[in-house]
Amino acid sequence: MLYIFSIIVFVCVHGIAVSGLSLLTGYTGIFSIGHAGFMAVGGYAAVVLYKNLGVPFLLAVVLGGFIAVIVSVILGYPALRNKLEGDAFGIVMLGFVTVVRVAISNIKPVLGGAIGITGIPRLSSVWLVILITAIMVYCMRNFIKSDYGKNCMAVQQQESAAEMVGVNPLRTKLRALMISAFYGGVAGGLFVFYATFVSPMSFAEAKSNDLLAAVVLGGMCSLSGPLMAAGILVILPEILRFLAVWRLVFYGLAFILIMLFRPDGLFGYREISFKWVGRLYHKIKAGIGERQKRTGRG
Amino acid sequence: MNLFLQQLVIGLSIGSVYALLAVGYALITSIFNFTNFGYGAVMMCGAFAAYFAVVKLGFPTLIGLVFAIIFAVFISLITELVAYRPLRKRKSPRLYLMITAMGFNIFLLNLAVVLLGANVRYLPSTFSTDSIHMGSIVVSALDVYSLFASLISLAVLWVFLYLSKQGLAIRSAAHDTDTAGLMGINVNKVSLIVFAISGITAGIAGTFMGMKYTVYPNLGDIANKAFIASVIGGMGSLPGAVLGGFILGVIETMVSGYISSALRDLFSFGIMILVLIFLPNGIVGKKVQDKL
Repeated sequence: MLYIFSIIVFVCVHGIAVSGLSLLTGYTGIFSIGHAGFMAVGGYAAVVLYKNLGVPFLLAVVLGGFIAVIVSVILGYPALRNKLEGDAFGIVMLGFVTVVRVAISNIKPVLGGAIGITGIPRLSSVWLVILITAIMVYCMRNFIKSDYGKNCMAVQQQESAAEMVGVNPLRTKLRALMISAFYGGVAGGLFVFYATFVSPMSFAEAKSNDLLAAVVLGGMCSLSGPLMAAGILVILPEILRFLAVWRLVFYGLAFILIMLFRPDGLFGYREISFKWVGRLYHKIKAGIGERQKRTGRG
Repeated sequence: MNLFLQQLVIGLSIGSVYALLAVGYALITSIFNFTNFGYGAVMMCGAFAAYFAVVKLGFPTLIGLVFAIIFAVFISLITELVAYRPLRKRKSPRLYLMITAMGFNIFLLNLAVVLLGANVRYLPSTFSTDSIHMGSIVVSALDVYSLFASLISLAVLWVFLYLSKQGLAIRSAAHDTDTAGLMGINVNKVSLIVFAISGITAGIAGTFMGMKYTVYPNLGDIANKAFIASVIGGMGSLPGAVLGGFILGVIETMVSGYISSALRDLFSFGIMILVLIFLPNGIVGKKVQDKL
């Protein structure tokens, strides 16, 4: 049971981080190869706040998220202001995750250096993590459906056109970056308080690839697609343990094949919805009443 | 003072290899306007080809170098033909090209880990490995060889780009790919030449880096440094890439010599972030129009 619980927690934590990255890479079109850096910042900040300053657990996780936001602004504002596009911003993020990893590995006193911090109490229970994930994903869904989210998509598809109709690209991009950094930070905090230890390798470059893979596989302009992909990417390696070494080979191949044959990802612009249940219900009702009542779609 | 001069020579030698790799990046960036993140894997393949030629087949290092170049060109052309060209034909966004390139990197790297193992392999050199005494400073012969090999390759590349007809085509495509296509330049042929050149540079760099640091699947991470060099110099600019490579190489060896080798990567990525933030066009700082 503990095993199942831990898988559920990993799926949820990944889900939070992936929904953040989905906003940044999928909806806003900013390539990030180093998103795990925000998880590292959030996770370490939460632990230090809890252990060394005595901040309560949930507050520490949230504050960790906010510290990730501050870092993202320090990094992102100058970079985005100079219109660093695509690959340049991607490599800034790769640099960021490397800098975070090397810096943490070399700070012995509080952060424990390369060994990391052990003996963290397991404070995030399964139900709490599920609840937080549900709330955060719901907020993200609302954000994407709001005007802000539509601005993000406009900037992704035609930046100059979006600017012409009065969308401020810098503000939109920065907003997306900050929100996704917050999601990454909170995911890192929750993960650390479940795993009970944290080391610089917990959030290394490979983790960023996991997150990016979920967004690419799930669909560039979809929220439920990447979430499902995140779940699959956590659960599948557990089932296919004997193929563990091939996991990253498969990722690479999947990146290429998906971009070649289904560039919008498995879900593309669609979302999983339960509207068809309602439609079915109306159809059955209409059939029983033997009237040709046609209900509108959804 | 001796230590400083010695570090300077080593730095220039590493920097020359970075410069070679950075030129490979810059050529592709200047023409197709995307970063070939799969480049590190190409270089790693070249290093492994050299390893098999030298260790398993017993050829001298020079033949190993030829093997490395041929194999790296082969891989480089395959990535272009299989992945990048269909995507370009469909006018996919740059994001998709970058994700594909990333995918190639992850795929080739981990394929090498699974099939060949992640352990390091010693790549022997049939060149003399003695140290060379220059006045009061001592440097390893390998460093001097790689410095000269890189400088000669850069010179050959310069001659090719500026004195041959194909070079003119490449330069015009770098100036404006679409207009060059309208003027009757076969852009697909140019792309093959450019990817072949980047394969050649990757093969040379891979062999020398393999001799210096041993051969292992993550060798391609060195290409990230070369990308940093091309960013420092100015993305898509060839002189900038060469300059950035030398600057980065010298800074790295100075940091490892005087401060700490553990902090080397921190410095190189930190410098890149600072350059990107304050000099987004790089040190050469030209506008996009004059790239070559």
